[in-house]
Amino acid sequence: MGFWLNPVQAWVWRDPVRRGYRLLRFAEVEADGGRDLARAAELTPDPKLRRLYLRHAADEQRHAEMFRRRGSDLLRASAAAGAAAGWQPDWLAPGERGLDDVEVEEGRDAPLLAFLHLSEAAAARSFKTYHAAVRADPETRDVFARILKDENFHMSYTRHELGRVAPKKQGWLLWKARLGRLWKGYLRFAVALGSLMGGVLLTLQYFILLPVFALGAKRAAKREPEGWAAARDRRDLKGQY
Amino acid sequence: MKILGLSCFYHDSAAALVIDGMPVAAVQEERLTRRKNDSAFPIEAVEYCLDTAGLEPEELDAVVFYERPMLKFERVLTTALRAFPHSWRSFPHAMKNMLGEKAWVRGVITSRLGVPGNKILFTEHHQSHAAAAFLTAPTERAAILTADGVGEWATLTVGTGTRGASGTSIEIDREIRFPHSLGMLYSTFTAYLGFAVNEGEYKVMGLASYGEPTMADQVRKLIPRTADGAFRLDLDYFDFHTTSKRSFSDKFIKLFGPPRSRYEPIDLSTDEGRRFANCAASVQRVLEDILVDLTRDLHDRTRLPDLCLGGGVALNGVANARILRESGFERLFVPPAPGDAGCALGAALYADRIHFGNPDRAFPDHPFWGPEPDDAALPRIAAEDKFPHEALSDEALIEETADDLAAGRIVGWIQGRTEFGPRALGNRSLLAAPHDAEMRDRLNRDIKYREEFRPFAPVVPIEEAERYFELPPGGARLSRFMSGVFPVRPEWRDRLAAITHVDGTARLQTLERSFAPRLYDLIQAYGRRSGVPVLLNTSFNLAGEPIVCTPQEGYSTFRRSGVDLLIVGNTRVRKRPKNAKREAHEEEELV
Repeated sequence: MGFWLNPVQAWVWRDPVRRGYRLLRFAEVEADGGRDLARAAELTPDPKLRRLYLRHAADEQRHAEMFRRRGSDLLRASAAAGAAAGWQPDWLAPGERGLDDVEVEEGRDAPLLAFLHLSEAAAARSFKTYHAAVRADPETRDVFARILKDENFHMSYTRHELGRVAPKKQGWLLWKARLGRLWKGYLRFAVALGSLMGGVLLTLQYFILLPVFALGAKRAAKREPEGWAAARDRRDLKGQY
Repeated sequence: MKILGLSCFYHDSAAALVIDGMPVAAVQEERLTRRKNDSAFPIEAVEYCLDTAGLEPEELDAVVFYERPMLKFERVLTTALRAFPHSWRSFPHAMKNMLGEKAWVRGVITSRLGVPGNKILFTEHHQSHAAAAFLTAPTERAAILTADGVGEWATLTVGTGTRGASGTSIEIDREIRFPHSLGMLYSTFTAYLGFAVNEGEYKVMGLASYGEPTMADQVRKLIPRTADGAFRLDLDYFDFHTTSKRSFSDKFIKLFGPPRSRYEPIDLSTDEGRRFANCAASVQRVLEDILVDLTRDLHDRTRLPDLCLGGGVALNGVANARILRESGFERLFVPPAPGDAGCALGAALYADRIHFGNPDRAFPDHPFWGPEPDDAALPRIAAEDKFPHEALSDEALIEETADDLAAGRIVGWIQGRTEFGPRALGNRSLLAAPHDAEMRDRLNRDIKYREEFRPFAPVVPIEEAERYFELPPGGARLSRFMSGVFPVRPEWRDRLAAITHVDGTARLQTLERSFAPRLYDLIQAYGRRSGVPVLLNTSFNLAGEPIVCTPQEGYSTFRRSGVDLLIVGNTRVRKRPKNAKREAHEEEELV
């Protein structure tokens, strides 16, 4: 997270209610991450990786609990002051995996390790920024400080194990994972843009094309009897209607 | 005939395979992908079903989808039109949602499975529920009631079913249509109380026991009864038909107060916590009252002794117990998977018996249609991780596990094929002693990581059930798949504190030996030690995860939680005692 984002982060983290909800959201992301790692442990044939993934999963679970507790405390304190939640976009403060989904598949430890290494590094950078942004809140700062320590371990074990599991391909796998993150970022952007455009077009259609049909539908609805209706004959299974 | 049933794209997708009228395999996609309530096309479930039978997709005679996508699309579009112009926000969302995969199911099935379009059939949603309820029940003639949020148009249907040598028929004669829906009413309160819809309804039911139905009259304003004995929703109190963001309206909030944030814990010692509990109790009471009325009317009209209940509403064990007591029906059958996942099986059975007119076959009366564990996996993993493990004889396994349970240990128990449906009925269970409230708290705190107000279920041999629980006639049958909530006898409540809910009830499972012989023997062995042949039986999973399926998943859950020992088949693995030196050494090895 670059320097230029710090004012944004300062804004995101300034308000205790926003901070509380943000931490609770992080708790969910960490818990999800823990489940993904547990899945990786279930699928890997490598005993050492299984132990590491399980430890990593336990760390994520603990982080989730730390975030949850601190977030709840903040909200409880703020509720006493009568505060309300404001606007909270996820993308302004992504958590552990950022906006990425982990893809856990059987027999694919090397790409997973490369992916985990990069996302742990990104998470460590983000958490460092958040740690700086919550200067005025020592308890939340302490949560980030403790989690950052674990992130360093996660970064180093994933890098080390990548070297062990795929000694000749590690550089390529890291590049591939970087490209994968970029590609996924592009896809997310494209899907969001497509969805926005689709939404605009459908909204236009709604107001231009639908009013006449809406009138008909409303009239028909008024004619519908309340309560029980006779069931239609449903025996033909060939049609989708 | 080989018929594959599918349900997907809404929540909890599943596949089921029926060959020559008999089920061969059925499993929810979430059990294989490990994504809770996975609603995606159930490709892994399909592969499992076909592999179990050694079939290729082209050998299938039919693939039956559990609802009619275009009829559903018609309902979504009509609802948006009727709410015009208030539906302008939800319309784009609804259209994008429908026009993705949901409207092109025939094409999706053809492309994913390579099955020609003319082999693909469609049952109606509630037809699938009705078939799943009636064709799996041990009865030849029964009234049928199905109720859930919504299918295509119907939200609740009633009818009758007949099966036997002369053929099979399911006649649905009346229905209540969207937006008037008992399921939507309950789900709206689920969302209002800060729980996830389609998942948190259990929590509403659990919370209800802590409250009083002081707001039942307000709830009745939301769902006035119609002159013909049905009901309608007063849409002024709801927003589910106009927006996808929120299901209750401002008027609803005026009536019941501010909704609960999903992040706020429910503190029952506060006024606010009690208000939420009273809300839950009120909607639960109104739901029960309406269901009892409808089933009583159905009984009066059909005069049949048996009722088959299907749809997500049939998961409400408290309501089921009231229906059994008050409707006039002598027996109530709820299948192990009454929700949408079970529709995969219902759709396949409907096509087999009614569309193709194949002869009736008695349906095996158990839910074990999922994957079998690989017994060799646990010893291998445990050895690799230097965990002590042992292969035990059947007798030693039973006796020593009973000793462990009596010593207060929590046992992860994996035996045989996994259950089809949302409940662990003895093959993928966590078992524990049912006596102390401390055990319930420990399970909630260290293993399930869930709200303290949620109860745990007991499992008891069917012959012993009456001794500990107040069962009405037909109650033991309803409890076969944990579908009814009944009072624990007052004199046993203290000794069964871990499974007795705050209102003195329990959602028990009655067990016949033939259903799960090893579990049955274990309970009896435990009874010889404790004097009470009852065990606490909860699903083997952690919060937010599906029930485990494989030994690897059981092992991972065992390692990440406070489960003391894990048993897969005849292999047992124990948690190692704390040893700082060994742990430091292992840590060094890892780092």
